[in-house]
Amino acid sequence: MKFLVVDDSATMRRIVINSLQRIGFNDTVEAGDGQEALAKFDSSVKFVITDWNMPNMTGTEFTKVLRSRDDGRHVPVLMVTARSVKEDILTAMEAGVNNYIVKPFTPQVLKEKIDALLPAAAA
Amino acid sequence: MSDSRAQTAYYESEAALRLVDKELDQLRDGAEAVSRFVTVSLADLPLILERANNQIRAVLSHLRETRQALQSTTFEKLQTTHDKIKEVTSATEDAAINIMDACDRASQIVDELDTIDAAETPDRGKATELRATLRDELFMMMGALQFQDITSQQLAHASSVLVEMETRLADIANLFDSSLATDPPLATLQAGAPDERTYDPNATTRNAEQRQHLADEIFTAVKAPAA
Repeated sequence: MKFLVVDDSATMRRIVINSLQRIGFNDTVEAGDGQEALAKFDSSVKFVITDWNMPNMTGTEFTKVLRSRDDGRHVPVLMVTARSVKEDILTAMEAGVNNYIVKPFTPQVLKEKIDALLPAAAA
Repeated sequence: MSDSRAQTAYYESEAALRLVDKELDQLRDGAEAVSRFVTVSLADLPLILERANNQIRAVLSHLRETRQALQSTTFEKLQTTHDKIKEVTSATEDAAINIMDACDRASQIVDELDTIDAAETPDRGKATELRATLRDELFMMMGALQFQDITSQQLAHASSVLVEMETRLADIANLFDSSLATDPPLATLQAGAPDERTYDPNATTRNAEQRQHLADEIFTAVKAPAA
């Protein structure tokens, strides 16, 4: 299963990708912002993990555009962000995010959220 | 005091200063007229002076209010910035200590593996177990590096506050010397301000579990969009 990992921090991309590899997902593609993510997204991507605060196109903007595309309408989107006030979480939800992880996160939390969305990703 | 109130006070003061400037111009013109035409009555002079006096009093009042507003907002923002920088220091130290602790534990595990290897009949089961623990420790070290992303957002926020303060001070200086408006160093500073889309002003390494719990509660209470 291919994961698209979107974050402007190279450190965070590496941490997420290493966490994915640790739980058995080795097929990953990465992007530094929403625009790059849109360019790299195709039907082979089955799961998206995105940050919120990024240059050029934020995670919520990216998710909205993704949801408007036929090939991105149903792909699970997991947001991993430092933003954690109620309004932000609701905004992310409205943008089409399926679940939400607050930074700094533990590998267990990442695994739980991915596991919960896997049936949708596999569909 | 809110930013908007400070800004209003600031603009009112600017307007008042311009009025005074106009009044002083009129006063100067009046004085010139007096000097040119000796026949002009001096009876108007007290009136002109009283008007100028009133304007100056009004300006002083506005300037006092502006000073208080700027002092208040500046103090609040600088205090927040100071707190953020303190948190960066604290988060960096916490991460460094966590990583050093993990290094110590990893080093002990390597020693234990050496002991197992040196034994006449090495306990392979124990060695496998220790290697798994070693991997966990290494992974934990990587996770601790998440502080870098969060502290970089905190520093971006602190930097944006400093640029804002500098801009505000430059605006005030510009009231007295308009040539500063095109000051190249100020333009460079503003252009180099962090993009506000790239950071969260509230980013923190603290209370991650509580904040995750809040997110989980919201996603449970409000039905998340179906994937």
